[in-house]
Amino acid sequence: MVKICYLLVFYCVLFPSSGFASGSSEKLLFEKNSLYQYIAVIEDTVKKERYVRNQKKEYAQGGIYVNAPEKLLYEFTQMGFVALAFMERDPQDALFVGLGAGAMPRYFSSHYPKANIDIAEIDPDMPAVARKYFHFRETDRMKVHVDDGRLFVKRARKKYDLIVLDAYQNDYIPFHLTTLEFLKEVKSRLKEEGVVVSNITSTFRNKFFDSMVMTYKKAFSNFYILKGKKSGNFIFIATAGGKIKDKSNVEAKARKIQSDRKMDIDLEDFAARYETADSYEWDRAKILTDDFAPVNLYQHQKSGAQ
Amino acid sequence: MIKFVVFICGAVVMSFEILGSRVLAPNFGSSVFVWGSLISVFLAGLSTGYYLGGRLADRTPSSRKLSLMIFMPGILFIAFPLYSAPIADWIFMKDLGVRTSPLLASVALFLVPSVFLGIVSPYTAKLMICSLHTSGKTIGTLYALSTFGSIVGTVATSFYLITVAGTNALIMAQGVLLIVLAVTLYFMNLSCSTVQAGSNGMMNDTR
Repeated sequence: MVKICYLLVFYCVLFPSSGFASGSSEKLLFEKNSLYQYIAVIEDTVKKERYVRNQKKEYAQGGIYVNAPEKLLYEFTQMGFVALAFMERDPQDALFVGLGAGAMPRYFSSHYPKANIDIAEIDPDMPAVARKYFHFRETDRMKVHVDDGRLFVKRARKKYDLIVLDAYQNDYIPFHLTTLEFLKEVKSRLKEEGVVVSNITSTFRNKFFDSMVMTYKKAFSNFYILKGKKSGNFIFIATAGGKIKDKSNVEAKARKIQSDRKMDIDLEDFAARYETADSYEWDRAKILTDDFAPVNLYQHQKSGAQ
Repeated sequence: MIKFVVFICGAVVMSFEILGSRVLAPNFGSSVFVWGSLISVFLAGLSTGYYLGGRLADRTPSSRKLSLMIFMPGILFIAFPLYSAPIADWIFMKDLGVRTSPLLASVALFLVPSVFLGIVSPYTAKLMICSLHTSGKTIGTLYALSTFGSIVGTVATSFYLITVAGTNALIMAQGVLLIVLAVTLYFMNLSCSTVQAGSNGMMNDTR
């Protein structure tokens, strides 16, 4: 018994941070149990990156390069801006559902300084975290609304050119933000040529992904999918008009935006990943509705598609 | 049979509560306020039901009256899809705040059925108590069965049932189950005096 105690003490002295499960180069800057989630801000002192996570070891909800906060750290955040290439004109009004570290709205506002940006974030603690650790600033043109994304969309009177849906966490996807009814509500908040872009994570092809594809198809008839190279992220892009956008057009537009707006991301290269959604369709996947949406279970079930 | 009824009612209460969270989410989200409203309203319903059920049980209890207590929520469940969306939409439109809205919606949608289901527990206890010597055992068994039913209802619904059918279909199916149970109970006419024929004359169900 005494021996075990010694061993324990020895172990604790040797590995003082062992209670903190992440890698040794990671430093915990902040943690809090908010009304909705566990929030941890973690800095990797070697990679010089800072993340916000919901579990200490989990995938990050968002993050930045400590020395270059104006850049986009994650592939999915970069890919998401391909949505701009599906627009006929410059976006004036944008809505982001889900704040995270605020990297996407911040990037958007710095490249489109005249745009009005609304951000719906459910967790009242997230804006403060984004401000303190991730260089996020609210301005006259960029406002955070602490509200459930669905409720914000339902109550919104305004229409948007761009709606970015990024409120899914890896281990928890709010089902009411996945359903056909929700997508229809989102669609009703889009201007005539408006575009909605959504970040869908599916590290292996699961039933949730299949159902999401069929649900988007039902709501928007045509949409596009970009597949992440580095991650299990898929970006869904749908237009209110539902017209098919020619691939060469989209690529050319992406190239133009990239140079006009002086973006440091290779938007054209991302645009080249353009696929129409039919290659991912699996007819037997069930459409998600307010009545039927077993999202969290579907996430763990393999797709039946070949 | 009575034990089975208690088990099923326990299962239905919790299954309904889990499904209730799905009913509320489109209009009120799935915040901690929504869960808080939902749970407190169910508990309020059950405690009211326990209280009323105990009082009712002292007035010539019969399995026919019990059957009515199970029949009523059955009807409410089957009609649920008809009234749930209009009520929830109406409260959403009123926009009474992140706390009041889901609380009010929970009261409107879930309070009455849970009162009826709460009545079942003390009422069945009274029906089954034939002797004061074993009343502790009887009550203990019923509590255990009811709560065990609740566990089964919770797990089955959240882990499995929501993948096989929609929320409304599940609630209606439970309504059908309750009605089948109620009708069976009505014709079985159970009570202590019938279980232990002529053991005492205190329980009669002539009414």
